[in-house]
Amino acid sequence: MVKKITAIFLRDMKVSLRDFIALYIIAFPLIFAVVINLFVPGINEATVSIAMLSGDDSAHIDYYRDYAQVEVFETPGEVTRRVAQRDNLVGILPENNDYYILVQGNEPEGLVDYVKTLRAYEYFGVSSADTSVEFVDFGRTIPPMKKLFVNVAIMLGSVLGGMLIALNIVEEKVDNTISAINVSPVSRIGFIIGKSIIGILVPVVGIVIMLIVTGFADVNLIQILMMLLASSIISILVGFIEGINNDDVINAAGNIKILFLPLMGSVAAAEMLADKWQKFFYWIPFYWTYKANDMILSKSGTWGEILIYTAIVIAISALVFAALAPKIRKGLEG
Amino acid sequence: MKLWYSFIKELQLSSKSWYFYIEIGMACVLLLILVFVIPAESDDKVDEYLYAGGLPRDYQELLYRGILDEEDEPIPGKRVEIEVEDDSYEALLFVTDTRNLYFVENLEAVRTLADKEGAIGIEIVTGKEGSLIYRYYLQGYESLKLKNLYRLLHNDAVNPEFIRRHLEVQTVKSLGEESLSLNNKENVLPVFLTYNGSMMGLFIIAAYIFLDKQEGIIRAYAVTTSSIWHYLLSKVGVLTVTMITTSLLIVVPLMGFEVNYLNLLALVITSAFAFSSLGLLVTTYYRNMMQSFGVFYILIVAMMVPSITYFLPGFEPRWVQWIPTYHLLEGFKDIIAGGGNGPYILKISLGFVLGGLLLFVYANHRFKKTLTLS
Repeated sequence: MVKKITAIFLRDMKVSLRDFIALYIIAFPLIFAVVINLFVPGINEATVSIAMLSGDDSAHIDYYRDYAQVEVFETPGEVTRRVAQRDNLVGILPENNDYYILVQGNEPEGLVDYVKTLRAYEYFGVSSADTSVEFVDFGRTIPPMKKLFVNVAIMLGSVLGGMLIALNIVEEKVDNTISAINVSPVSRIGFIIGKSIIGILVPVVGIVIMLIVTGFADVNLIQILMMLLASSIISILVGFIEGINNDDVINAAGNIKILFLPLMGSVAAAEMLADKWQKFFYWIPFYWTYKANDMILSKSGTWGEILIYTAIVIAISALVFAALAPKIRKGLEG
Repeated sequence: MKLWYSFIKELQLSSKSWYFYIEIGMACVLLLILVFVIPAESDDKVDEYLYAGGLPRDYQELLYRGILDEEDEPIPGKRVEIEVEDDSYEALLFVTDTRNLYFVENLEAVRTLADKEGAIGIEIVTGKEGSLIYRYYLQGYESLKLKNLYRLLHNDAVNPEFIRRHLEVQTVKSLGEESLSLNNKENVLPVFLTYNGSMMGLFIIAAYIFLDKQEGIIRAYAVTTSSIWHYLLSKVGVLTVTMITTSLLIVVPLMGFEVNYLNLLALVITSAFAFSSLGLLVTTYYRNMMQSFGVFYILIVAMMVPSITYFLPGFEPRWVQWIPTYHLLEGFKDIIAGGGNGPYILKISLGFVLGGLLLFVYANHRFKKTLTLS
């Protein structure tokens, strides 16, 4: 049995490597990791952008550099042209021994208020050195935005595993090899397991690499793997049902699009919606995966909490399996 | 005429496919989300948790009055209970224009809120010569610029009333662009239109083409009187019709007659054409969906980058403007905002037409060249 399952897995691996698909699924989290590492410092540093004249007093320019991103230009015309561009950037230009603020008119109010406040403090000669503030920090170095991106990338990795299975099965159908399984010595359950291994193993490799590259190497990997395995069940089930029900890649691609909706919806709900809306997302396994991953990445979850969340994901997956099992069985017979 | 027949035939075939109904269903789900789940207005006031319990009673009173002085109208403090990790604590809440200030009676509760929930926690203590010190409990990843701002906002060097007066007399000149005030629902709409609508053509046209490649349909064009570009343009046409349908399905019920539909259609049609043409070009380099999957994935991830800057106006590196979806998001935003920056919409629509034409012509050239190899 194990030999046959391994044979199915190795065959899928060979096909997937030939088409570079397995390599992609390992490489994607890595690409994500690089993008996250490039982006997050910029997002974390983001305040407002200000355009000024290079001929202005250097102390005046340096004052704003302490609080904002400053771009300098040779002439007022260049500053005006820069402000007129689509992005949110405010100009500060000299006039009658004073300065005025130049806006495009469509900037968010808060951004303009920010620059006005800085200008007011500068006018009275107040700087951050005149402070009555002390800072105490909790020693965290990873910003929440980075955690969110990594969490989404983990979930996407798991869904991609399901996609890999779906595409492999569609290919089997196109090649008319799926019906041949019924007359081969491999059992149906053996076939299912054999087909599923690739959808779990390949994303796991990519995700572990991503965690290391993004600086999350010190999280509890066992908890992450446990959550990944639990959430893979739903991706695999969907992968199977996609593969079996779809004769062509258009429908498979369309159905995978449907899968992304609850995934991104869960993230948006957990991050943005008020408590009273949360219960509408309890039925989505991705919702619990996201919350559990968040706890693991921030090292704030206890084993008890992670186990409960895993159990919820498995229970929802079991219900989905119970509903889909007859279809999968029928599809494999057909 | 042949092109028209080809287009109608493709449209009939596609309207019977499962995929077409997925798109319609997806648009309906997005509409339901917009109508029922996303609130039109949200309370974007910042919660700040302060502890001033270590100060003498009269200092506390002065502190509260100081907060009242910042506002035009006097704000009454309200006694509330806040939940912190299964315990509840009493707090005095002052709601200002921009902030909800909770003066919590327990320092540990403020620290826990900052530590476990990432909230803004501030302890106010007395400093030298009776001054007040604001002790911020930070996470550790806050930028230097943000810390500088906190330092600046709490200083003893200037009377806050002077600052307030100066804010009122400052000269602010505007280049006259209309202010784009969108509520939460309207703000999300451009993202749905860009990523569920226009950009999907990129991926889906590839699925159509690979299916036809698999079934030998494309090779058949080598022996028919019909031109390959008829076939390709019919596919683009089908995708464009699908995108128009799904876009209108979302926009019409939500916005009614408040948007300029001519501008909207111009942008949907031209962007669907450009992205579909890009999809066509990519398919000429691969035999099946799986082989081309990586390229599509990278393209889609790259095209999604502007959505980050869209939601974070403070983070907008200039290179993001080189990604076409940046302008698509901005264009849809202008249209949804009502007034609509006509020249800008025209400019980007023209850009999509020209870019799409170049890609389409090159894709056609490559299809002709590889017709017998597919």
